[in-house]
Amino acid sequence: MKMIRAIVRPEKTSVILGELLDAGFPAATKIDVVGRGKQRGIKIGNVHYDELPKAMLMMVVNDEDKDDVIKIIMKNAKTGSEGSFGDGKIFITTVEDAYTISSGENIL
Amino acid sequence: MKEIISVIRINKMNETKKVLSEAGYPSMTAKKVSGRGKKMSNVEVLSNLIDNGDLNTFEHQVVESITEKDRMLPKIMFTMVVADEDVKNIVDLIIETNQTGSMGDGKIFVCDVEDAIRVRTSEHELNAI
Repeated sequence: MKMIRAIVRPEKTSVILGELLDAGFPAATKIDVVGRGKQRGIKIGNVHYDELPKAMLMMVVNDEDKDDVIKIIMKNAKTGSEGSFGDGKIFITTVEDAYTISSGENIL
Repeated sequence: MKEIISVIRINKMNETKKVLSEAGYPSMTAKKVSGRGKKMSNVEVLSNLIDNGDLNTFEHQVVESITEKDRMLPKIMFTMVVADEDVKNIVDLIIETNQTGSMGDGKIFVCDVEDAIRVRTSEHELNAI
């Protein structure tokens, strides 16, 4: 199993979550975060902002679904055809075990 | 070391905290999140119910409020980093405390952690947790 943590623009989350639902990946957790990237935030006039609001989408999926989910997030999180700074990042980590509390079973 | 990430119901948080600290695992980081799971309401059934069902005003409101199929529910996510041999015990405690048997009880994920560092003393690995 893989955990996918995608940091995206907050205004893009509803589109991404809708597309994931249609593709058969309903389960997700959304967390509001602030962050900056390689560009060190953004400078507007004389003010430098380095705590930009983003949304982090966290999902745990089976190994074979990983690429589909990444593709869907990539496609819908981009702004413009080329994408632009601040569109976000996707991180993948390995999950060793998952439990469903309602049934107590050791499955995703 | 393993990281245990669990997503649970908000109203179970106090009980979970109490049970875990009594068992000797007090350290955790918790955050309010919104989420959705695999099981969702069947929009077709619900809209049929609204159209044909004999509902009173309250039932109608309830049914209408769950027709939005991709709605996210508020949950608490908490993470703990613990030694390998404690994982089984903690997972069992969390399941035992949070299980109501109906959907929406939450999930627990277990991931590997390579290193942990205590900022105050620069201690590494198990000494740091």
